Amino acid sequence: MLGSYLTIAAILFCIGLYGALAKRNAIIVLLSIELMLNAVNLNLVAFSKYGVVPSLSGQMFALFTIAVAAAEAAVGVAVLVALFRARGTIKTDEIDELRG
Amino acid sequence: MMIPDWPILSLIVFSPLAGAAVLLAMPKQRARLLRITAIIATLLPLALTLWLYADFDANRVGDSFEEYAAWVNIPLDQAGLGGGAASYGLHLDYRLGIDGLSLPLVLLATVITAMAALASVTIRKRWKAYYIWLLVLECGMLGVFLARDLFLFFIFFEITLIPMLFLIGIWGLFNREKAATRFLIYNGLGSAVMLIVFAIVVMTAGFSIGDTQGGGAVFSYSGSYETILANLSDPQAVVNQVAAGNVNPFYLSNGMETALFVLLLIAFGIKLPIFPFHSWMLSVHREAPAPVVMIHSGILLKMGAYGLIRFGFFLFPEQAERFAPTLAVLGLINLLYGAVIAYRQQELRSMLAYSSLSHMGIVLLGLASLHVIGMQGAVFQLVSHGLISALLFLLIGSFYERTGTSRIDELGGLAKAAPFMAGALLAGGLASLGLPGLSGFVGELLALLGLFDTHKVIVSIALLGIILTAAYVLRAIMGITFGELPAKYGSMKDARFIEALPIVVLLAFVLLLGIYPSFLTELMKHGFDPLLHHINMRVGG
Amino acid sequence: MAYSQAAWLIPVFPLAAFLVLTALGRSFRRSAPIIASIGTLGSLALSVLVMVEGVEYRDRINWIKIGDLSLSIGFDVNHLTSLMLVIVSIVSFLVCMYSAGYMRDDERLTVFYGYVSLFVFAMMGLVLADNMLMLYLFWELVGVCSFLLVGFWYHKPEAKAAAKKAFIVTRIGDAGLLLAVLLLFWYMPNHALDFVGIQNVFQGQSGAVDAQITTLIALLVFMGAIGKSGQFPLHVWLPDAMEGPTPISALIHAATMVAAGVFLIARTFVLFEASAVAMDTVAYIGAFTALFAASIALVQHDVKRILAYSTISQLGYMMMALGVGSLTGAIFHLMTHAFFKALLFLGAGSIIHATKTQDIRELGGLGGRMRLTALLFGVGALALSGIPPFAGFWSKDTILAAALDSNPALFAAGLLGALLTALYMARLFFRVFAGKPSAISEAAHESPAVMTIPMLALAVLALGAGFVETPWYDGLSQWLLGDEAPAHAADGYTVPIIGAAVALLGLYIGWLAYVKRTIRLSAALDAMPSARRLLENGYGLDALYTHLIVKPYRLLGSCVQLFDRYVVDGLVQLAAFGVSALGRGTARLQNGQVQTYGLAAVIGLLVLIVVLAGRRLWS
Repeated sequence: MLGSYLTIAAILFCIGLYGALAKRNAIIVLLSIELMLNAVNLNLVAFSKYGVVPSLSGQMFALFTIAVAAAEAAVGVAVLVALFRARGTIKTDEIDELRG
Repeated sequence: MMIPDWPILSLIVFSPLAGAAVLLAMPKQRARLLRITAIIATLLPLALTLWLYADFDANRVGDSFEEYAAWVNIPLDQAGLGGGAASYGLHLDYRLGIDGLSLPLVLLATVITAMAALASVTIRKRWKAYYIWLLVLECGMLGVFLARDLFLFFIFFEITLIPMLFLIGIWGLFNREKAATRFLIYNGLGSAVMLIVFAIVVMTAGFSIGDTQGGGAVFSYSGSYETILANLSDPQAVVNQVAAGNVNPFYLSNGMETALFVLLLIAFGIKLPIFPFHSWMLSVHREAPAPVVMIHSGILLKMGAYGLIRFGFFLFPEQAERFAPTLAVLGLINLLYGAVIAYRQQELRSMLAYSSLSHMGIVLLGLASLHVIGMQGAVFQLVSHGLISALLFLLIGSFYERTGTSRIDELGGLAKAAPFMAGALLAGGLASLGLPGLSGFVGELLALLGLFDTHKVIVSIALLGIILTAAYVLRAIMGITFGELPAKYGSMKDARFIEALPIVVLLAFVLLLGIYPSFLTELMKHGFDPLLHHINMRVGG
Repeated sequence: MAYSQAAWLIPVFPLAAFLVLTALGRSFRRSAPIIASIGTLGSLALSVLVMVEGVEYRDRINWIKIGDLSLSIGFDVNHLTSLMLVIVSIVSFLVCMYSAGYMRDDERLTVFYGYVSLFVFAMMGLVLADNMLMLYLFWELVGVCSFLLVGFWYHKPEAKAAAKKAFIVTRIGDAGLLLAVLLLFWYMPNHALDFVGIQNVFQGQSGAVDAQITTLIALLVFMGAIGKSGQFPLHVWLPDAMEGPTPISALIHAATMVAAGVFLIARTFVLFEASAVAMDTVAYIGAFTALFAASIALVQHDVKRILAYSTISQLGYMMMALGVGSLTGAIFHLMTHAFFKALLFLGAGSIIHATKTQDIRELGGLGGRMRLTALLFGVGALALSGIPPFAGFWSKDTILAAALDSNPALFAAGLLGALLTALYMARLFFRVFAGKPSAISEAAHESPAVMTIPMLALAVLALGAGFVETPWYDGLSQWLLGDEAPAHAADGYTVPIIGAAVALLGLYIGWLAYVKRTIRLSAALDAMPSARRLLENGYGLDALYTHLIVKPYRLLGSCVQLFDRYVVDGLVQLAAFGVSALGRGTARLQNGQVQTYGLAAVIGLLVLIVVLAGRRLWS
């Protein structure tokens, strides 16, 4: 049982990772990150139910993560809006502010 | 006057940093205030060193003043030992000391830095940052000469690199950035080699088993110079035991010691510099501003020789003995190679750079003698060359400031426009070519006298260097001070008071050492004991 | 207290004068000659007292002490050194006085007297030195003073070149001397370097020092003397050194410093006596130099260069005397030569001062205009030519007698040299003072008293100094050697008569050639222009050295510099290029794209996982 949950979570994580690394639209990158977080959530819940020592703390953590993810998404979208106002684009390959 | 119970060595090392801290708090437009503060900050360690000189007991073997504080203490996993240890750890301590080898160089460093600070009136921009870097540099240099822990030494050695990088890179001449990078890469390379050697030494010779404390023995790796020196020279120490059966991880085989010595020779040879590692020095001499070259040529190069003596010769005397002929030949090459090229230079700074190379050859010759006279000659030559080259670079900087050039073929007849500076230049040149009565001669004489006992042929060839030195020095100095004065320099002014002061002080030291060499040689009476003790043991036993 | 105990004060007077002059600077121009003269006068007074007292005294202090070894400095008063002190201080004082007139209009008068005082200090130190190392110190110092004074008129390119040449050429000899000091230090018992110790070790042929080493040391000491005393082949600097002010030529390049080589050998004479090879070398080089330089002096046109070559030739005589074992002869000639050659140079200075030229072709008939100078110059010329009863006659006679005793060939060379000497002096004297006055000579006036009085004093000495040692009186050899002085040859009159006859013959030929013009000597030379040019250029040695040493050395320098730039630095550039290429490559990764960074991180993670998992699986 645990195996299929983990497999689903792994697939979800990989899709998210691909999206975060490869997509050019920053909104989609943000969504992909959400996807990865949800994969993690799935893992946490699965372990809390079917793990070696089942306990509720895993589900607690999942709730935490959802809350943090919501906050992160809000901040992220806010940053993107600000960026769009300033630069007129949210294409990831056109933003290279990190370059020294 | 007795020195009270102060941590005098730490005061000497860190007083420039205190000055730097004060400078940090000052507004950066107040050039005059900044300058005066910086000069005072360099006079502080000078005064303390002179005080120390007055109170220094030359008859004492080993370090005269010592300061110690536990610094880094990393407990290690006792499981590897198999139990039975009260403690097991790596100790890198804050450990300063001064002996007959360090004191002359500390004196040199404080004198020259103070003079360089005085001479920094020629600096035209960003005074605040300049003086702060200068003071940090001084802290590093003094630390190098006083540190008695391998890693502390390494850290101070590295501290000197960063300020130099900025001093060359920001305040230098046209190719300053390239010169600065070159300086950093080359010296970084040397430091890396040095770090490898130090790590190996600490992990082998630094290991010792101390007294039992309560339960079991104290096993420790230590960076302490004293411990390492004692371990290496003690046949009973762990480092010298070839364990039968299972391998002694702390054993340093003869081959390994040789490898370490050679690596140290390279690490410090870059700094010294020894041919063929000299080319980085030339660009620094050409591009850095005059006060920085004073420090660079006057002190930083000497750190290489100091390190070679302190860590190469003292820790590995057997290897030093084996490599003495090689060193003598290297010294001879330095001496003649530098002299021959210096004769062809049109640019005074390059000429002096090659002249430094040539004079460092004499240091190597003195070291290769492994005789007390020659070793003292080598250190004397270090101090003397530091003073002389600082003087010459100071003067060339002053001439450059007035004429905008330091090429021999563009200058001439400056004795007419600036008799004081030209006279000082001539005196410096004569000191550099080894005129008796000035300090250069004593170093040369002692180094060659010491070496002559064992390497007669090399010394005979080295005497050729004396003639060649006269040729290139006179060609350069007479080229710019004698002859007709070009009309465009007719209105040139002689030295201002603030410029004349360091010139006079440096000349006075050159003269003092030339006339009364015991000023230094008395200090060094026991400076070479670790090495000579070893050699005497071998001869005696 | 005995004066000899205070002999260390002798060099201190001029040193003090030097310090005072340096401290005062240019503002005190007028008092400079007085200060310097007081300094040298103090030395002169004390020197005379020390010599008259005649007490030997030595004392020393440690200079550098290293372990059990020490290098000391000290002073040593004995008959030889006290005589030298008197000679040096007399000439120094007179030259100081003379220069007050000769250099009156020079704006750097203070500097000039400062250098002169420093030189006198160094020379006195050299004479008083009690060991080889200290002698070497002052040996170098007199060299540098000579360098400074030759280059005194620094703006003249000739003076600059001459000063540089003087320093470097003598340094070649100095390197030899330093090597001798090093050898002595390591081969002498107890590392003793003092002259008394050397005397003791080598006198008894004790075998403490190997015979070959002794020869080597002696030859290296002689090498130093060759450089300083302008012996062949290192004499080339001395004629050029005439670019310096004329009083300097008189003081340094005639009377004192150039004689230091002779003094040095006299001081270490035991070393030479212990080695026949060294003695012969000294004798033959001396004799060759004497003839060689005299032949060049015959054709020079510059008053001072004639005198310079004459000095080289006379120094050769002194060397020859040493080589044949006559210490007395050498020191005697050193003394008389110091007086009459200084006189001749001061006379030449007087001529130059009056006419502003030193080319004898532009001069002539000066005798009528400058009677006193002509008379005094004549005294000097007669003394140099070896005409009795002038001083040069007696000293040359001593040398010739010693040469005859040891080697007839050297005696013949000495006689030929004497003939040439008389001839070139006759040429110089008659061309300058006799005949019809030239345009320049017409305008000349006698020099002031401050210049003629020192010349007068020297003339008296040039006339009278010879009587300290004559065939019937051996005062000087008694003074120098004590009871060991060799007895005079039974037939003491043959050599002097031959010597005087040869000198007179030389003068007569000169008179015929340059006054009566019955012999056309110059016409004979004009017939062979290449030979004339060769002689005028000093046998082309300068050109030879330029082509053989200076130019190849420059070429070597250029080659080594190319090597340094392209090979040594090339390797460095290559390494630097490698590092920066690596840097450029990796810098491409830093494109500022978060996604690239993320990709790199993921790849790194994967690699880590594979490695860790792989280790688990395979181990």
